[in-house]
Amino acid sequence: MTHRRTRTISFLSVILLALTAIGPLFGSVSAQDDRPVLVHATNSGDKATFDPHLASGTQDRTVVDMVFNGLLRFKPGDASVIEADLATEVPEPVAEADGTQSWTFALRTDATCHASSATEAYPLTADDVVFSLQKSANSDTSGVAGDYAGFEFVKVDDATVKVVVPTPLGPAVFLPKFANYGGGYIICQQAYEALGADGFANEPIGTGPFKFSSYTPQTSTTLVANDDYFRGAPKLGGVEVRYIADNTARDLGLESGELDVINGLPEAQYVERINQAGNQIADVFGVGEAVWLNLDITNEYLQDPLVREAIILAVSRENHLALAGEPVAQGIFSIVPTGIVPGALTQEEAQAAEVDFSQDIERANELMAEAGYADGFSLTLVTSEQAAYQTQYTVLQEELAQIGIDVELEVVQHAVMHEQIRAGSNAITIYIAYRPSADTYLTQFFTSTGGSTNFSQFQLDDQVAAARAETDAEAQIEAWQQLNIEILQNFAGFGLLYTNQVYVRQPNVDYGHELISVPQLYPGYNETTTITE
Amino acid sequence: MTATPSVTMAPTAPIAVISERRRAWRAFARNRSAVVGLMLVILIILVAVFAPVLAPHNPLTQSVPNRLEGPSRDYLLGRDAYGRDVLSRIIYGTRIALQVGIFSVLLGGFAGTAIGVVAGYFGGKTEAVLMRLVDVLLAFPDLIMGLLVMAVLGPGLGKLILAIAFTMIPRFARIAYGQTLVLKEREFVEASHALGQRTGVILYRHIAPNIAGELVVLASLWTASAIRLEASLSFIGLGVPPPTPTWGQMIREGTVYLSSLPLLSLAPGVALLLTVFAFNLVGDGLRDVLDPRSGK
Repeated sequence: MTHRRTRTISFLSVILLALTAIGPLFGSVSAQDDRPVLVHATNSGDKATFDPHLASGTQDRTVVDMVFNGLLRFKPGDASVIEADLATEVPEPVAEADGTQSWTFALRTDATCHASSATEAYPLTADDVVFSLQKSANSDTSGVAGDYAGFEFVKVDDATVKVVVPTPLGPAVFLPKFANYGGGYIICQQAYEALGADGFANEPIGTGPFKFSSYTPQTSTTLVANDDYFRGAPKLGGVEVRYIADNTARDLGLESGELDVINGLPEAQYVERINQAGNQIADVFGVGEAVWLNLDITNEYLQDPLVREAIILAVSRENHLALAGEPVAQGIFSIVPTGIVPGALTQEEAQAAEVDFSQDIERANELMAEAGYADGFSLTLVTSEQAAYQTQYTVLQEELAQIGIDVELEVVQHAVMHEQIRAGSNAITIYIAYRPSADTYLTQFFTSTGGSTNFSQFQLDDQVAAARAETDAEAQIEAWQQLNIEILQNFAGFGLLYTNQVYVRQPNVDYGHELISVPQLYPGYNETTTITE
Repeated sequence: MTATPSVTMAPTAPIAVISERRRAWRAFARNRSAVVGLMLVILIILVAVFAPVLAPHNPLTQSVPNRLEGPSRDYLLGRDAYGRDVLSRIIYGTRIALQVGIFSVLLGGFAGTAIGVVAGYFGGKTEAVLMRLVDVLLAFPDLIMGLLVMAVLGPGLGKLILAIAFTMIPRFARIAYGQTLVLKEREFVEASHALGQRTGVILYRHIAPNIAGELVVLASLWTASAIRLEASLSFIGLGVPPPTPTWGQMIREGTVYLSSLPLLSLAPGVALLLTVFAFNLVGDGLRDVLDPRSGK
């Protein structure tokens, strides 16, 4: 009897030991780690690219921001302050004898490139930084190459990089280009070369607080904590970014507790309702994303300025603004958004320059008749599945119907819309974007170096370059304002509004910083972010 | 004198000749559910026809500053996310629902019946090819099939009707095929053959009319299915492009505000429910009357 009992106990012990041994094989990331995993739902159905120099959708910017660092960074939660990141300090400009200007970045030596499927982890050096910046400045490998036109990147030693600028720039223009946004993200050379451009677009390798772990198409991307992060190990075990385009599905996921943070609906009524219910917290914060019209001046119909003027006179800024309502949205009176970055026009300034156009359907119809389109014409416009785009286009559709322009809307996935509008599908493109300076807005959208994002085909190359080179801050702002006036006078673009970010979180999510403005268009997760009990 | 017995003929009672059609109508009229369904269908058709008169506002006119207003005296079902009148949009949405429901069934019915009759009558290789094709089409769920066809054709009312008609073809073909197999063995068809009638005449004059009853019953039921499928495709954004009001699209747009203004989704949902219900009641009633196998 005793012998039998001993045998049974031994048998059970063996089973238990075996289960203990194989248990981790079936465990998830969070099961191996006591730290919580934050589940974030973005409002797109899928990712487009994880290459930080090509990423343009919010869903991609979110992932990229956690994986990569810049030489500098926007202070977490407050984009008005730029501080050192991979650099040890914010550089000062030096005027060179040949008329150029140089900025020298001293690099920290404790930043480590994450391991990839093809490379081991290794310390980041000036080679990586120069390689990354050169890639940013190359239009074949970067969507923001125009921002770095003429820049030279020189390795001084393993921990020092010098940037030579052909014409002197002020800090307001120069520094944001090297912060953690767009071309400023530093990628790891060895991983990029080993994985190739396509591989890197699916397996991003940087130095950030979170490391890429996996991507499931149209479902999610998983990041895990980078415990070797130079600012210390993250408090979160990881972040899972889920792709949920449907607003209601995201809301329900949050209510059920399955999701921790969601991209909310950018509408004042929505924010009010969530905060009144009190179960979750809706945060409204900057940076405001400008919403503006780009009118393709080379289009069959829109090449006539009368038609473009008619279109702008058919539009009611108040209608577009009312879709979101204050405090989520505010009106803007130039392409460079009023109240977001210097160089924009206030309403008074736009009125003084006679470019503050108000809706005037009667006059718009007269212009259409004068242009020979009394019976109107038809346009097919591509829009995103995202509510922020779709609603703006639907209002535009109704406005244009009043002047005889029959708009057929084709709703496609967000990433597909970005592809198609860059291929020139839309005669009128509504674009929603934040850029860190007036120079970036103007360069990317109104110069030939903007390339595929010059949706209007209206080019102000020389004028934008001259404004960029202006070292007197006040004169530079005036130059940018003048360019805004020129765009409006030529009816190549029309500013509608800016919308702040709306994110909803569980009350126990602590971002680790205040939410004033985040250029990466999500709350910003880093080593300080956590979920409390 | 012998009286001749007079033969008094009893007055002949008029023989009640009740036509088959009248009998069917009487049977239908006795079915209360069917009558309710028919009245609802008539009402829905009237709403669609007189939409411009009945709708209190233009269904396309936006008033964005007044968006998401709840029900009021002027806007009985409130305003949607663009400030458009929900009631007017539902009324106009009836037109799309009926157009798609009726025309897609008619189109699919004609094509499917033709395929089924030809396959059943000729047999052999014709039958093998046509019916295997139908089997392949039947293997796809309606929504998937509609989705595939819409993805190829692109958005638009005509294309939507075509897409849904495409999903109806195999259903009609299967029924017509089975019926034709039975009918082609019947004496009257053989007699027509013997009399030297042309195949086309036999199919058109003798086969088609004899399978029409069952097909009409099914058509009325499948009209409801077609309306549901239209709403489903519109819900996933593959229906008639905006701003044309469709119930499926209205339900989808309303889901964003489900917790704050449920009426935006509920109201078109009820319209859809009532329409599908009405066509189903009529279909059930017709089946009871026309289909001898229904057991009633």
